Amino acid sequence: MASRLLQTLKTTSPTCRLLSHLSTATAVVAKESYEDADGISMKGVKISGRPLYLDVQATSPVDPRVLDAMLPYYLSSFGNPHSRTHLYGWESELAVEKARAEVAALINASPKEIVFTSGATESNNISVKGVMHFYKDKKRHVITTQTEHKCVLDSCRHLQQEGFEVTYLPVGSDGIVDIDQIRSAIRPDTGLVSVMTVNNEIGVIQPIEEIGKMCKELGVPFHTDAAQALGKIPIDVEKMNVSLMSLSGHKIYGPKGVGALYMRRRPRIRVEPQMNGGGQERGIRSGTVPTPLVVGMGAACELAMKEMEYDDERITALQKRLLNGINAKLDGVVVNGSRERRYAGNLNLSFAYVEGESLLMGLKEVAVSSGSACTSASLEPSYVLRALGVDEDMAHTSIRFGIGRFTTDAEIDRAVELTVQQVEKLREMSPLYEMVKEGIDIKSIQWAQH
Amino acid sequence: MASTPSKSQILSLFRSLLRTARDFSDYNIREYTKRRTIDGFRHNRHVSDPSSIAAAYSDAESQLQIARRQVIVYSLYVPKLKSVMEIKHA
Repeated sequence: MASRLLQTLKTTSPTCRLLSHLSTATAVVAKESYEDADGISMKGVKISGRPLYLDVQATSPVDPRVLDAMLPYYLSSFGNPHSRTHLYGWESELAVEKARAEVAALINASPKEIVFTSGATESNNISVKGVMHFYKDKKRHVITTQTEHKCVLDSCRHLQQEGFEVTYLPVGSDGIVDIDQIRSAIRPDTGLVSVMTVNNEIGVIQPIEEIGKMCKELGVPFHTDAAQALGKIPIDVEKMNVSLMSLSGHKIYGPKGVGALYMRRRPRIRVEPQMNGGGQERGIRSGTVPTPLVVGMGAACELAMKEMEYDDERITALQKRLLNGINAKLDGVVVNGSRERRYAGNLNLSFAYVEGESLLMGLKEVAVSSGSACTSASLEPSYVLRALGVDEDMAHTSIRFGIGRFTTDAEIDRAVELTVQQVEKLREMSPLYEMVKEGIDIKSIQWAQH
Repeated sequence: MASTPSKSQILSLFRSLLRTARDFSDYNIREYTKRRTIDGFRHNRHVSDPSSIAAAYSDAESQLQIARRQVIVYSLYVPKLKSVMEIKHA
């Protein structure tokens, strides 16, 4: 029966395409992009097919098994989990509680310690601002690092404007924070230490267990942003001694728009809610819990628990393949961040003597992200790379390759081929590279001033 | 209590999963399903305990049902352009 349905779909698709051609003839508004059978042109770039996806840190595709778990809650089981009086509410609540248990199981927590939010950004906001506002009479100091995610840094800046004090600790050139620096920064009025588990730009893994142990000794609440780490490296809130942990759904092959916050019950950590309302999620986060999204996150967590070992083995092998492939053909390639303490699926490379923007323009068949923000409005290189002490020119040419569950060997080989091709082409045209090949030390050149 | 599946039943389930995987319109999902099926069955090759075999078999059966449903869903929303990996390049 399924195959017959597929047949009807395949035979009607040319008509559908004809209809869409007729409709686009009248859509004069969208002039920047057009699509035909040979390719697509968008934002001035013409490509022949959908790029191969190597940007898993930005977001990940929804796993078909997760989508399968979510769909019933968009179709017939559409109830609000807070409706207590009928089947629609009851079945929805059951699904939410099942998902809660699945998320808790992945981090070795109790389901009562999980609060669903709209994403890791909201969880980070609740952790940083919520904790400090609750304890504002006694605690006025926050410690964090310079390589944290923007939402943590922005929340800290907001606290500074309210009169709190924040210490932004530097990191080493390998991206790892120094524990002794944290210890010496802790004061009697320190209310929170926040260090992310896996960095989203360079992929380094911070020493969370050691930091957690120290914070427990000194009695300071410890928050970690585990959005990039969940489902990829083993996480155990008991071993890590964290009080708060932010989790994200769309980084582990789940839907966008959902996340969770782990809040320890023993010893209990209290927060001031950022979303006021009907008191859902134990008063921490009011608002209707989005059942399909939450079910999706639960299914994604359950899958991650089963697939973590298999995925990790594959991704480590693919990372080696990518790095060896590039190093075999190119020199002057630098890996940003520690080589030992890193998550395999995140590879941030800088290519010397190549301009970043032109490299990205040439790599349009590969969906990657650059470390620098030159693709956005500002021309400044990424603050994470700057915190690592990377030179401006190297920071501008950094590319972040993200390898995930669905990445194939053929995609890695193709990415290597395209990157090597583009870098060689750009270096061919580069006078700086010519000088380097002749043995001139670039840094010793006195540039004539006009 | 379900009886232990026979070798031919297991092989038939394996082939059904691979056939279903072929029908996925998305390149990455298609390759993943094929690869995961082969690796999954290979990993369980030496399982000898009958109840473990039955458990693995029923797990694979439910995965087959999920895959069949999702093949249909993905085919309803095929993007106009194929992936660059599916286009022959010079």
